Amino acid sequence: MALPTQKTKRNSFFDKKWLNKNLLLTVLPYVVLVIIAIVLAIKTPHFGTFRNLTNVLEQSSILAITAVGMTCVLVVGGIDLSSPAIMALSAVAGVLFLRATSGTLNPVTGAVAVAGAIPNQAVRAILAALIMIVVGMAMGAINGFAVGYLKMIPFVVTLAMQFICLGAATWLTESVGIPIDYNLNKFFVDMTQKRFDYVPLDILYAVVFVVIAYLVMRRSYLGRWLYAAGTNLKTARISGIPTQKVVMAAYIVSGLTAGIGAIITAARLLSASALIAGENAVLDIISSAVVGGVSIYGGSGSPVGAALGAVLIGLISNSMNMLRVSYDLTLMIKGVFILAFIYIYSLRKK
Amino acid sequence: MSELTLRLVDIQKKFAGVQALKGVSIDAYAGESVALLGPNGAGKSTLMNILGGVIPPDSGNIFLHDQPVEIHSPLEAVRHGITFVHQEIAMLPTLTIAENLFITSFPTQLGFIKTRAINDQAVQAMARLGFYFPPTTKVSSLSPGDRQLVEIARALLSNPKIIIFDEPTSSLTEREKLRLFEVIQGLKVTGVTIIYITHLLYEVFDICERAYILRDGEIVGGGLMKDLPYQKIVQMMTGARSEQAVATRKSRQTSETILQVTGLNRSGVLEDINIELHKGEVLGLWGLLGSGRTELLRAITGLDPIDSGVIQIHEKGTTRKIRPADTKKWVGMITENRREEGLLLPQSVKDNMSLANLTGLLSRLWPLIDGRREVKEAEKYVQRLNIAISGLNQVVATLSGGNQQKVVIGRWLERNPIIYFMDEPMRGLDVGAKAEIRKIIGELAEAGAAILVVSSELEELMSVSDRYLVMDRGRIVAELPCETTKEELIARAAEAKAFEAR
Repeated sequence: MALPTQKTKRNSFFDKKWLNKNLLLTVLPYVVLVIIAIVLAIKTPHFGTFRNLTNVLEQSSILAITAVGMTCVLVVGGIDLSSPAIMALSAVAGVLFLRATSGTLNPVTGAVAVAGAIPNQAVRAILAALIMIVVGMAMGAINGFAVGYLKMIPFVVTLAMQFICLGAATWLTESVGIPIDYNLNKFFVDMTQKRFDYVPLDILYAVVFVVIAYLVMRRSYLGRWLYAAGTNLKTARISGIPTQKVVMAAYIVSGLTAGIGAIITAARLLSASALIAGENAVLDIISSAVVGGVSIYGGSGSPVGAALGAVLIGLISNSMNMLRVSYDLTLMIKGVFILAFIYIYSLRKK
Repeated sequence: MSELTLRLVDIQKKFAGVQALKGVSIDAYAGESVALLGPNGAGKSTLMNILGGVIPPDSGNIFLHDQPVEIHSPLEAVRHGITFVHQEIAMLPTLTIAENLFITSFPTQLGFIKTRAINDQAVQAMARLGFYFPPTTKVSSLSPGDRQLVEIARALLSNPKIIIFDEPTSSLTEREKLRLFEVIQGLKVTGVTIIYITHLLYEVFDICERAYILRDGEIVGGGLMKDLPYQKIVQMMTGARSEQAVATRKSRQTSETILQVTGLNRSGVLEDINIELHKGEVLGLWGLLGSGRTELLRAITGLDPIDSGVIQIHEKGTTRKIRPADTKKWVGMITENRREEGLLLPQSVKDNMSLANLTGLLSRLWPLIDGRREVKEAEKYVQRLNIAISGLNQVVATLSGGNQQKVVIGRWLERNPIIYFMDEPMRGLDVGAKAEIRKIIGELAEAGAAILVVSSELEELMSVSDRYLVMDRGRIVAELPCETTKEELIARAAEAKAFEAR
């Protein structure tokens, strides 16, 4: 006989207090975020400038997009360590395509000396972007198949995928960065790097993406299936939800966000390499989601929270930079921040 | 008669307002094996947890060798000579047999474990049971039966006077089971008292001298095995009392088959299952616990794998053969354990109600869920099923058992399937909730759904069924009509083939 595991008697006063406390703890990280921003705006001369603030958001946009993908995976109770590696491989594939199809420029006249396979810049750019997205989703699909259908452990699968993608990216680039010739590929770069009324396009894209992700997670049946599968896989299966497909879909979405990240990153850096995502990228992505309130045990968390978490992580990096704190100390402060946030979240439930 | 080792007198225990034990008294003598029988939730485990010092009783006394004792912790129980061999074998598979045996009290020298000493002692401990395994064997490489022997050897290390076996055969093969029985017989010869908890009745006749039958926290019968005929025990376990007549109902049975299962097999679990489920009927799947009822439902719905068998759905004049994984498109499944498999406990009533029907709640404009429609649908079934909630956003974990069960049923009503599988739909509910569930089942059948119901409570099952299939050890042994009497049903479930052949 099972011992009763719940105490149903809880008076309404306590209930109410509980709710307020939870609400408070949910809002707290963002209050901290605003306070940090205000303090920095007063203390440092450049922080409050429009240029720096858009800079922070621009830096955070890729993190926010990939953190949304990570959220999907975390919600179904998995983890994706391969996201930055997939991003690197996608970027390399797309940029190699650009190089192969752009032709070469005459350095003196500025005219295209040797016509590429695809002379139209826009077509080329869109194809390159599509390649990045398809490569990302394909790698995500492999992860998802291994986890959803073959019942392999997410940590191990995506760790292996990380090596495979980094290895492939290094091999394809022969360990060097592949540059994007801006003069030949203005369209590809401007597609994400131009400003729309002073606001960089990539920030707009990130915002639109997060809004779409929110709608999909909260209002589409796929999103609801993700939460159900992450909360209780057995219940979800018995309720007729195709759990294997749902799990696979989560990893495909994560791969998709890596592909989108690749498009923006390649355009911003004007190159692609195996190291494009940067050191510790996967830690930043997971941290963003966790700081944004996504549970690593699955079943709860919102893409909006993850995106705000990404902004918070970006803000910490930027402000440390503004305060001229060294890189090593920045890492340590970031770690302490993350621990503190996770502790606050742990107070929220029970 | 031999010495009275253990007496439990008027033990009572309440959990969160529910009386789990209503004054239970038990006697056990040295060198005998006492069976504690009863359905799930009868209070067997609670009683043994009290004896094992895991939980304290609210009132009542425990006497060991006629001395009153109080047992406050499992450690104290061991000191009194009481040990437990658990149902879930609790071992550390990456360690060796010897390390597992001595894990709580390693003999050490200068802080290092005396490896040779524990290995030697492990050999001796296993030898007491008449077995030899190299003591350095990793537990992970042993079969469940062998692991259990190690577990028993560990229990014997403290020289217990009373050993409690909790469902010891649940994961054993037939041969391992016979070996276990030999070990138990051997222990009895040395004067140890065995308390044997099970729901598999035929085992009890093999190895027990005495039995107590628990139901709803009460001893409903007991005595020496030789005075207890098989049928009588079944009657007591299932709570079917002949004086309590069930109102005879007219059978709703129709002849239009919706679901047809032919030649379904699952090695060691199900054997040559053939079922025809008709439109508008409630088919009662009857059998003792462990006869394969739940396993059958799980096999048909693709939750467990099958070795062979054909499943066909007849709908709108067409017949199609479907894979078990696809049956869920037609079948609403209500599992026996709603907390573990039925509900998303941390989520809201609304989310739980919509779960099976999300694709049916999409807005007409775009492929997103129409929030207003979702609320409307959920409200409709909350009202229809009379679910007591504070609001649609209440977390289901905080609901009572009856209301939780209604949420599970409501989820399927929203989906509106043509077939329902209900495994113990009334388990753990109070009388009022049971009556409501019964009414809902009747209404669903009237509306044309085909319903397959499993229940361990015979009267419960009889109150809804139009026809019966009787199962025994993975096979369907009889098909009986609505008018079948209780006695007949009990007799059919009890006439275990292997039992006769024993």
